[in-house]
Amino acid sequence: MIEVNNLHKSFSGAKKQQVKALKGLSFQAKDGEITGILGPNGAGKTTCLRTLYGLLKADEGSAIIDGIKVTENPLEARAKLGIFPDKFGLYERLTAYEQIDYFASIHGLQGNEKHQAIESIIQDLEMEELAHRKTQGFSQGQRMKVTLAQALVHKPQNFVLDEPTRGLDVMSTRVLRNFLAKYKEKGHCILFSSHVMQEVAALCDRVIIVAGGKLAAEGTPQELCDLAGEPLLEDAFVKLIGSDEGVAA
Amino acid sequence: MMQFKALLIKELKEAFRDKRALMVAMTMALMAPIMIMVLSKTMIKEMIETPPIYLNISGGEFAPKLIKQLKDNNIFSLEEADNKDKGVWKERNVGLIIPEDFAQNMMEGKVIEVVLRADYSEKALNSPLRRVKTEIRMYAQSIGAKRLIVRGIDPRILQPIKIAEQDTAKPSSNAVFISMMLGLYVLMAAFMSGLSVAIDSSAGERERNVLEMLLCQPVSTLKIVCAKLCCASAISILGVILTLVLTSFSVGFVDLTKIGATFNLDAYMVIIIVLMLLPISFFASALQLFVSFQAKSFKEAQSTVSMIIMLPAMIPVALMFIDNKPKWLDWLPVSGQSLLMDDLFKGLPVNWAAYAATAAVTIAITVVLVAILSYRLKSEKVVLALS
Repeated sequence: MIEVNNLHKSFSGAKKQQVKALKGLSFQAKDGEITGILGPNGAGKTTCLRTLYGLLKADEGSAIIDGIKVTENPLEARAKLGIFPDKFGLYERLTAYEQIDYFASIHGLQGNEKHQAIESIIQDLEMEELAHRKTQGFSQGQRMKVTLAQALVHKPQNFVLDEPTRGLDVMSTRVLRNFLAKYKEKGHCILFSSHVMQEVAALCDRVIIVAGGKLAAEGTPQELCDLAGEPLLEDAFVKLIGSDEGVAA
Repeated sequence: MMQFKALLIKELKEAFRDKRALMVAMTMALMAPIMIMVLSKTMIKEMIETPPIYLNISGGEFAPKLIKQLKDNNIFSLEEADNKDKGVWKERNVGLIIPEDFAQNMMEGKVIEVVLRADYSEKALNSPLRRVKTEIRMYAQSIGAKRLIVRGIDPRILQPIKIAEQDTAKPSSNAVFISMMLGLYVLMAAFMSGLSVAIDSSAGERERNVLEMLLCQPVSTLKIVCAKLCCASAISILGVILTLVLTSFSVGFVDLTKIGATFNLDAYMVIIIVLMLLPISFFASALQLFVSFQAKSFKEAQSTVSMIIMLPAMIPVALMFIDNKPKWLDWLPVSGQSLLMDDLFKGLPVNWAAYAATAAVTIAITVVLVAILSYRLKSEKVVLALS
């Protein structure tokens, strides 16, 4: 369960100009649901997610993960998260297995339990062939998988994924989709941001549309279409954020 | 503890798989003994050999006996040089001008002015000029003494006091150039060996976008910093040990007894030096991590960190020029260890109080650096630098 209450965040840009990234964003992502965050570029999606992991400190408002305030107890809150960040890289001198092992150890797994967790995530993401290769020279999709695996190896209650499908081929996207659906059934809370409308429409139980640092609309994909009076989610999205901005993204 | 272990294992794995960085770290250690051997061999050669000197002598015919005395001692006129030496000595252009009235003045017992003309600031001429001067002075003294004897006077009357010099230095302190270089070198090794690992694990990871991911994991920044520090210092200590071991092996090939010096680097000394440099390695790595975590890219880190390397090179050199060393220099990192190493190489017993003091100060500074760094890694400025 992830709750975000009235988040405000501004950055001091060049020439002391304040850039307001978040202006009172609030939403909830419930357990057993997949919640999608949609928004044009620069709407504050990544800023919001970074506040969730405690990398950024909100000027006002709070983020609460399973009842733990991120600002008060960042380490405990992060332990309940599986994070797929906006920018990610791989330790190129480690093999995929070693890298997943590393993150599993950081999350406190050890011994047989760790070994099983790693094997199962590798199986789930269909990456057995990659596992014992050094990650140097991996394709974008392969890198994605490794990052996903390391983010989710400890089976966190909450998944936060920042555009997890960018650069994935259709097969991998399906693997990911099935994977997320499986964890939804198990009652995990999944929050992810995306630009791909079909994916959001196909996967999400609820959609949150963010524009200009604020919540523009929220509901099931169908509700949003009805709200905007458009048959397609894409058109509804454009109408709801009130501009054509970001459609090309 | 488990988290720390995982972090450390991963850092070590990465460091040891980065063959190129490791090579750079270890070439430092490999170069040390070679450099020390080559330099000490040439120095010994200069000190004990008396190669022929060729002077541009004018008026040599006026003082044949003086010329003969010079010749007997391997000092010749430029015309006698073979082609190889001629070029060199022509360029050096050392002139000896003997006046026309040499014989006349000698007969009359007047002072004869012989001119020795050369570029006295040229270092290569130091030893030849000294030899020429000594020979001429000896010649003059022997004539002076004979004059006195002829007049029935004991020449010793001219020397009421004779200084008998007794050197209390331990024999090994004669090898001061080796010990000075080695001291400087191991300090440099402590700073240089861990350098690439320190930069790679901080600025390098930031550039490869893996730092952000690590920072959003449920692990305290203190553990992250400590793991990186331990890894970099381990490599640095490895470099120091390798330098010392290879050097102790290679000084065996240099025959220092030729110049009446002894220098040995036994296991006991190696252990003491390693113990002494252990805090320095941590200090150096902490400093490098501290600077390179502030840098935005690998390249920026490299250029700023290279300033830090000046530290071990500058401080011992600066210390050589300070004759009355203030007490606090014994305690500061780098300078303290450098002074202790000087004593150790001179064969003096180790001043354990100074050793403990400088180690304590070094460790304290390291702890402060680590604390500040792990605090800074929590700030969102670090994240902003990423994006």
